[in-house]
Amino acid sequence: MKDAVLQLRNVTKTIGRRTIVSDLSFDIPAGEVFGFLGPNGAGKTTTIRMIVGLISMTKGEVLVKGVSVRKQFEQAMTHIGAIVENPEMYKFLTGYQNLVHYARRHSGVTKQRINDVVKLLGLQNRIHEKVKRYSLGMRQRLGVAQAILHKPSVLILDEPTNGLDPAGIRELRDYLRKLTKEEGIAVVVSSHLLSEMELMCDRVAIIQGGKLIDVRSLQEAKNSKQTKIIVEVDDSQSAYQLLSEAFNGQGVSLSGGMIEVMGDRSFIPDMTRLLVKAGLEVYGIHASQRSLEDQFLEMTGGEMVV
Amino acid sequence: MSSLGNLIRNENMKIYRRPRTWLMVGFLILALGLMSGLMKWDESRGSGGDWQTNLTQQNVHFQKQLQDNKNLDTDDRKFFSDRIKINEYYLENGIDPTKLSLWDFVNNSAMLIMLITILTVIVAADMIAAEFTWGTIKLLLVGPASRTKILLGKYVSTMGFALLLLAISFAAAFGAGAVLQGIDGLSLPHLTVGADGIVHEGSMIVDSLQKYGYAVISLFMYVTFAFMISAAFRSSSMAIAFSLLFMLIGNVLTGIFSSYAWVKYLLFANVDLTQYLPGHMPVRPEMTLGFSIMMLAIYYAVFQLISWFLFTRRDVAA
Repeated sequence: MKDAVLQLRNVTKTIGRRTIVSDLSFDIPAGEVFGFLGPNGAGKTTTIRMIVGLISMTKGEVLVKGVSVRKQFEQAMTHIGAIVENPEMYKFLTGYQNLVHYARRHSGVTKQRINDVVKLLGLQNRIHEKVKRYSLGMRQRLGVAQAILHKPSVLILDEPTNGLDPAGIRELRDYLRKLTKEEGIAVVVSSHLLSEMELMCDRVAIIQGGKLIDVRSLQEAKNSKQTKIIVEVDDSQSAYQLLSEAFNGQGVSLSGGMIEVMGDRSFIPDMTRLLVKAGLEVYGIHASQRSLEDQFLEMTGGEMVV
Repeated sequence: MSSLGNLIRNENMKIYRRPRTWLMVGFLILALGLMSGLMKWDESRGSGGDWQTNLTQQNVHFQKQLQDNKNLDTDDRKFFSDRIKINEYYLENGIDPTKLSLWDFVNNSAMLIMLITILTVIVAADMIAAEFTWGTIKLLLVGPASRTKILLGKYVSTMGFALLLLAISFAAAFGAGAVLQGIDGLSLPHLTVGADGIVHEGSMIVDSLQKYGYAVISLFMYVTFAFMISAAFRSSSMAIAFSLLFMLIGNVLTGIFSSYAWVKYLLFANVDLTQYLPGHMPVRPEMTLGFSIMMLAIYYAVFQLISWFLFTRRDVAA
């Protein structure tokens, strides 16, 4: 794997006898959006908080650009920007004062940089207003501004879309894409909104019961040849027989008046001809991509509580 | 990595950008003004009579006590004879001690340190707990500053706030005294009788600063205590309640249990060091100044250690 900016090595957290996160290891390269998926209580938030040092690790190591969070906390944190849940800001301060507050913690954040970030996030018109008068979307943007002030190499987002409306979510997603492309930042994001993760992430780690089940690339999933083709006809029984014969009974199933065929998209024209020749009324044939949710449910055995 | 100086600036910004803080400062100045006004009004009611005859009469009374009262111990005898000497000094030099001077205002303002303690306790209680209630603690801790450094920054700026209030109180009392009584009292001497039995003229400002100094010890202890509760329970109301409770019932408790020897180990029994000044009695006869200072140091260290331990070690999960 090319230069990993964030490495987790056997990260484990136990409280009492309960193991909340066990033996998590993976690498995240620069420029990637990496998602944490898992049912509630799977240990997503605990893992993220161990990365940023809010929760101590029982065992293991987190390395940010090769610097250990555990042993050289201050140094490791210079490379990290974070939004943990809804970014809570000091409401009695203005947006600008809040940014100054966070900028002071890092060496080398100039006024110019603060102003640039404010412009980048389109906050310039209201930056000198008190944060208590901001909408949630604006606070979120201020949260992103705070997180990228010091040009971190890794951006950590814990449930960033909580409480945002669809427009706000979309906005956030666009910023993240822009950041990874333009500044080469690696982004780690946890969310329970599967559809969101699907749109945002390059790869996802699926966690259940504190254990890593799988890490998979979403790009691969999209290019996968195996798609589900759904066929809608008037006489589904005879169509089912017809298609079963054509595919030797493989990957063809009948459910709720619809026929589902597992296979490549290129099957569709042939299937259509076949059905029309047999005199069946075809209402629709379309390929449905298996969504992340389907895959996820499959993998976690349907124990999903979203 | 963050410098401690920048962290203190951040904490100061969070204290002084809150309107509440300035309300407190205003309240303190108001209380001082009120107290000064009352003092002036009280003086103008007049005690009646000529101060010189009053002092002469007082001396005659003290002399009689010294001669007739056989129950006096050496401390009391010294007290009375010193009073006589000082009164005579006043008479010889034509100084009217009953006349309010600028320094009386400053000395009395030392009593308001109780109020300053309460105000600082409120700020200290919020220092850590409020970050938790606001939810800002997460972003505060996820930065290139160790928790120890953050805690230190918070403590330093809390103490800075106490110092500011003390300075304001001293200056405002001085100002009130100057306005109400004029600045001619500025050069008044502070009279003490030395070991040689001769009256000495001391500096009034040193005397006032001493009074402040004694009162500041309890401020220090209670504010540090509030800070600890804030770090331990992450609740400002609990920190304020406990600190004020101890401040208010501390003296009563020591009074009630002063017959027991263990009372001397309580914080409250040691916090007032004026008990070791001449003419005062310590809570327990076996207590000494050294003992109290040691006890205060131990309490202080324990408070700091607990705050540090709980703030740096605990997970921030909520």
